[in-house]
Amino acid sequence: MDSKKKFSFAFITVVIGFMIAIQFQTVKEPAVRDTRDTWELRADILKEKELQLRLLREISSNEEKIAQYETKRKQSKEQVLRETLDELKMEAGLTEVSGPGIILTIEPVYEELLLGKQADSVSPDLLKRLVNELNMYDAKHISIGGRRVINTTVIRDINRETMIDGYALKSLPIEVKVITENFQSAEKLFNRMQVSKSAEEFFIDNLRLKVEKSAEPITVPAYDETLRIRYMEPVKPDKGGKS
Amino acid sequence: MWLPVLGLIIGVILGLMTDIKVPDEYSNYLSIAVLAALDTLFGGIRAQLQNIYDEKVFVSGFFFNILLAASLAFLGVYLGVDLYLAAVFAFGVRLFQNIAVIRRILIAKWSQNREKTEKNDI
Repeated sequence: MDSKKKFSFAFITVVIGFMIAIQFQTVKEPAVRDTRDTWELRADILKEKELQLRLLREISSNEEKIAQYETKRKQSKEQVLRETLDELKMEAGLTEVSGPGIILTIEPVYEELLLGKQADSVSPDLLKRLVNELNMYDAKHISIGGRRVINTTVIRDINRETMIDGYALKSLPIEVKVITENFQSAEKLFNRMQVSKSAEEFFIDNLRLKVEKSAEPITVPAYDETLRIRYMEPVKPDKGGKS
Repeated sequence: MWLPVLGLIIGVILGLMTDIKVPDEYSNYLSIAVLAALDTLFGGIRAQLQNIYDEKVFVSGFFFNILLAASLAFLGVYLGVDLYLAAVFAFGVRLFQNIAVIRRILIAKWSQNREKTEKNDI
């Protein structure tokens, strides 16, 4: 056998050895046979169960701890303050709100077109009256033409243009979105608006007030200006607020 | 003579050290490939002892047998017939035959040697 033959033979044997080793490792898996009898098995089960119990106890104690932390966090002053702040912000109109409500559409009376006299804007007085009426009937959040109406919102006539907080109203038709507490009050508001006087007053100005119920929740945008409070002061505890 | 044995040992050590494991569904193929390899190995040894060893036949037979066995097993899996058993049987029989031939040759050589030494002694 010359050396070349020897090397090829050796190479083949290396490959065979490799394969055998891999096969051995693959088959070897259940290397240790299970030779425990019933009592040993029982003891082992007991051991495992104890372990399980211990783990469960640990889990429950950890969960308890989590719950404790949670309640602590909830009861902390910070959380209360935060919630109050959020509530106040929502009440003041600084957040976007969505909920059940109605949509009023102010549009020109198209029949008047024939007479050549078309209404092109809504007078601020009418709008104010409408807002007042809506507030009277338990409206929670109102937006007119995409602008949020809050307590300090001014609706007025500037250079013969109706402005809400300094923003000109879009051209007709204008959409007024009203959100109420719940679906029942939305229904009530809807019924009241249908028979309200303001519809007639709008009609005098050649405008029509269309009232629609909305099955889906309505979204009212947030008030996007900074609130400027000039004539308001906190009540001093020693002077008043003893009610 | 010692080189192939050394190669075998190196191969085993390599295989054990790499810690490769073949998935269960392929272990059939590997086992049959190992069988084919062993068959070829013993065939090679026999041929060497009979002085009809041909390197080309040996190397090509090694790879060809492995591939054939594996593809037979593969076909068997897809046909639903345990065709790999046929390969196991064929290789097993050949393995036994080869080993038997090797044994006879070795015995014959051994007895010849003894006779020679006895003659020499006398």
